[in-house]
Amino acid sequence: MERIEWGLLIVNYLYLGGLSAGVFFVSGLATYLKQNDGTGDSRIARYGAMIAPWPVSIGCIILIFDLGNWQRFYKLFLHFRIESPMSIGSWLLLLFSVVTLINFYAWLPEQKRNVAFLRLSKRIRSAERFNIDLSSWRRPLAAVGFPLSLGVGIYTGVLLGAVQARPFWNTNLVAQLFLFSALSTGCALLLVFLSLNRKSLEDSQIRFLYTLDICFIIVELFIALPYVIHGELSVKAVQDSLQLIMGGSYTLAFWVFFLGMGLLVPLALEVWEMLPVLRTKSPLKHNKLLTASAAFLILIGGYLLRYIFVYAGQKSAF
Amino acid sequence: MLKKKYTLLIDSKRCINCKACIVACRAENNVPLGHSRLWINEEHRGEWPKISSNFEPEQCHHCESPSCVRVCPTGASYKRPDGVVLINAKECVGCRYCIVACPYNARFAREDLGIPEKCTYCAHRLEHGEPPACVETCPTKVRIFGDANDPNSLVAEMLNTRQYRVHKPETGNGPRIFYLR
Repeated sequence: MERIEWGLLIVNYLYLGGLSAGVFFVSGLATYLKQNDGTGDSRIARYGAMIAPWPVSIGCIILIFDLGNWQRFYKLFLHFRIESPMSIGSWLLLLFSVVTLINFYAWLPEQKRNVAFLRLSKRIRSAERFNIDLSSWRRPLAAVGFPLSLGVGIYTGVLLGAVQARPFWNTNLVAQLFLFSALSTGCALLLVFLSLNRKSLEDSQIRFLYTLDICFIIVELFIALPYVIHGELSVKAVQDSLQLIMGGSYTLAFWVFFLGMGLLVPLALEVWEMLPVLRTKSPLKHNKLLTASAAFLILIGGYLLRYIFVYAGQKSAF
Repeated sequence: MLKKKYTLLIDSKRCINCKACIVACRAENNVPLGHSRLWINEEHRGEWPKISSNFEPEQCHHCESPSCVRVCPTGASYKRPDGVVLINAKECVGCRYCIVACPYNARFAREDLGIPEKCTYCAHRLEHGEPPACVETCPTKVRIFGDANDPNSLVAEMLNTRQYRVHKPETGNGPRIFYLR
């Protein structure tokens, strides 16, 4: 296509949707793997629950304003078309957002909830009725949210991958790549929030997030490289479209900034910090600055991935 | 009797690149300047004096299984039983997925209306039994339009007796503009 129809707003939306999905997934895992003594990873679970609703909400607002007829956006929910990834995605987003919001409420500290409702009930008298404790819902909500978050994470890639007119997109590896990138950026956002917090990070928390993130990044690498290899061995249209990242205008962005700075460098940093734990059972020597840098690099890399795919894909054609 | 199946044949050897079809379409459908529902591909080969120029008009192919219709989240893009692919503007949210999904780049976004636009085979003229504006106006009779299911029509005869090809059949859309060889 000569004109780029899907621009930065779509990039942002795909990124933010994936980010929320990743944060929710990781926080849900932390909810399930929480130690019985009540400490452990409940901080990750709580942070995740507090963060998860917002990126996806902002993303949805951006998405709606990107529509040519944003005032008709409700029509997306008057139809369900199984053939259209966007239709499936809209419904997934709606359900996922609702679950993240309920989950947010369920994880609100009791004290803060009471204060908020006290203020609210001064204005709306019946508000107090909704001040209920949902903390017992946390595990069921995580369970319901797992498939939804994975669905939202993968859908952002399916949206592109299902377009057979754009050879750069038209492989299911794009969906997997977007999913694992979403999970990894979710980990990274949690790492950023935890390391920016004045409270020190506990060993178990950082080990939990690092272990997950290292797995996600490695899987991502083993999707990104096969994507290139598979494309080079595919039909001519796909080979031609890969030129965009194999010498074309997105080469630097893909290889250096996404794959290098966005995956390999943060992977190296995380592995390096985990080494003492892996080699001997000695405690982790954790450096907040290093953690935050690795996390920021992952977040930027994830954004670049969406940017490269949305733009390069639209430039590819049969 | 079989249902109608509107079909466009293009005898591109006759095309002289006069662009009267584009002008007629613009006038008939109020297509805004800067956009066009149809276009003419040009191919120039060789060096003087051994040269050739080929012109090949193109527009929405009104595909057999159109990807624009498949990806539309609201069903605003649809295919009529008579083969014409249309957009129901009232249902369209303006996500532009269809524009991205069309392998022929046959759609463009109307920024003023917030919806995509493309060739409709002049559906409003078909209702009155008139051919699309581009077909009627073409001075060299490049375009042959009609009902492929009507055995007495010229398109049916041409499809049965002439060789033809379609653009990008490998995308699996089943394009239905037939280019005579």
